[in-house]
Amino acid sequence: MDMHPRVLDEPRSEFDRMIRNESELTANVLIEPGKSYGFFTDTTVCIGCKACEVACKEWNNLPADNLGLTGNSYDNTGALSANTWRHVAFIEKSGGDGGVRDVEQPPFQSGWLMMSDVCKHCHHAPCLEACPTGALFKTEFDTVVVQQDICNGCGYCVPACPFGVVDINTLDGKAHKCTLCYDRLKGGLEPACAKSCPTDSIQFGELQDLQQRAQARVEALHEVGVENAYLYGVPGAPGATGGLGHLNAFFLLTDRPETYNLPAAPTRASNRVGSSMLSGLAAVAALALGALALFSTRD
Amino acid sequence: MPDDVPVSPEPSGSPQALGGAWQGPTYYGRSQLKPAPFEKWAVGGYIFLAGLSGAAAMISALLDAGQGGPAARPVRRGRYLSLLAPTIGAALLISDLHTPKRFYNMLRIAKPTSPMSIGTWILMGFSSFAGLSAIGQFLSDRVPGLRWLRGAARVAQVPAALAGAGLSTYTASLLSATSTPLWAAAPEALAVRFGSSSIAAGASALSLGEPSRRLRRKLDAVTVAALAAELGAIMASQRSYERKGVADALDGSWGRVEDWGANRLGVIAPLAVHGLSLLASGRDRPLPKALSSAASLAVLAGSLLLRVSILGAGAESAARPDISFRFAQPGNLPEREG
Repeated sequence: MDMHPRVLDEPRSEFDRMIRNESELTANVLIEPGKSYGFFTDTTVCIGCKACEVACKEWNNLPADNLGLTGNSYDNTGALSANTWRHVAFIEKSGGDGGVRDVEQPPFQSGWLMMSDVCKHCHHAPCLEACPTGALFKTEFDTVVVQQDICNGCGYCVPACPFGVVDINTLDGKAHKCTLCYDRLKGGLEPACAKSCPTDSIQFGELQDLQQRAQARVEALHEVGVENAYLYGVPGAPGATGGLGHLNAFFLLTDRPETYNLPAAPTRASNRVGSSMLSGLAAVAALALGALALFSTRD
Repeated sequence: MPDDVPVSPEPSGSPQALGGAWQGPTYYGRSQLKPAPFEKWAVGGYIFLAGLSGAAAMISALLDAGQGGPAARPVRRGRYLSLLAPTIGAALLISDLHTPKRFYNMLRIAKPTSPMSIGTWILMGFSSFAGLSAIGQFLSDRVPGLRWLRGAARVAQVPAALAGAGLSTYTASLLSATSTPLWAAAPEALAVRFGSSSIAAGASALSLGEPSRRLRRKLDAVTVAALAAELGAIMASQRSYERKGVADALDGSWGRVEDWGANRLGVIAPLAVHGLSLLASGRDRPLPKALSSAASLAVLAGSLLLRVSILGAGAESAARPDISFRFAQPGNLPEREG
């Protein structure tokens, strides 16, 4: 990623003021309403430090979900939830058979897979399409956000989401999920998780730019021998299936999607409304016509 | 996206054969989806009452149109029965919200992609017209000077019956328009099941305690037709579940409730009893009224258990990654990409 020339204007590390359009310095992108923004999460450089989880909790004032140990590798977070909007998955791939450790590993991450999961901010977001109050909406940055002052906690967005992201907090009775730091975007700041990521595994930027960068990264990985690298959530790829369109938060993966707890071919739930409404009404109408014919006879 | 990028690379786990159980990896067996946070008996109870009320409004309007005066008693009962959804049903829905005091936010918008929004407006329309019809009936019965209101009730019952058709079926769309595998796997069959179960419940409720043997026979015939349609939809949904790999979701305790409560008690048993009763009634000794009433009660119980067990088994299907991953395979995608 190139550096923005304004970086040279700010050599200090402590400030007594906000930096205008700080995202230009941290992510080399100007945040403007009307453009499409997202995350590109490159799992091949994730080191599992969970800085994204911490930064998200800090910025969004989210409480901890689980203070215990899960026993699932280093993943003690478990899953995305109402209080957890970034979740680092850990998959240990080597040394599992017969207690013998692998002595040779493929390049990049070796026997570890790590992925920082997040709300995908789908182009045709099923949660948004399901929301009966309009609490879920598309922002001016092409992201999907729950308006907390409108949500009445009906919970319909929870099963609508094909990725198991949206969740109800039973303490406040509202639906919660990643906002792609809507408040920070409005202030010209890069989202907290992306800014805190020490390896740039999480990259924030304009969607088209991110998609090109990701494609170049896949090609570079293929060249150096990581042939199973592929994108999840770009047009035509796994994850962007069934009418969902592209995902504004997409991923570079090196194993099949299910390994990371992602569905291979999710679908847009609202595509099922028309056919089910029509067939239900047709059945009821046919029975009603039969009943009318029966009731109209005088025996 | 170049063609050489694998759609589903297979470094671990074996390839997924469509039709079989899930062969691939899961993430520590954790859920991939979140089950709907619905209280099963509250929401299932609402879906049942919505179906019963909608069907009662429809059948009473059809009875009024077809039979007129001789059917005044079941028509009146149908108009009163249709008040169940606007009252108890709506209360159940609001009680299931996690922020009930904001229930009115449902009325901010109308959204065709959300069956819950569609249903909100169907329920609003139904409640208005079913309420008018019931009030007209009540006042024209009780107040001598207001007998003309019977005409108003007859007018209001038409839009109430139309909204009732929507009310008795939209709840299946509401479930199907989610990512919960069991609900999403058979959208059409589930809607036919809910719709015909509603008609059967409405006809059974009106047949219960109906003194006229002639009207009871007609209502029971409607129940038989609806149960037959429901039986066909049960078999169609089972085929879809097996083809799309979600049938295991019905192996659990909710699946047994669906099989024994909704299907056997609620459909097959009353179908057999009513069928025998209708066949026998041509002769001099019809089956006793108690048997018809027992069948009607079984239909009503089965109609409630259908909704609750589908909610329960759906939640199980969402919680099991083997089912959700199997369902979300490319082979299950619709033919045309939207």
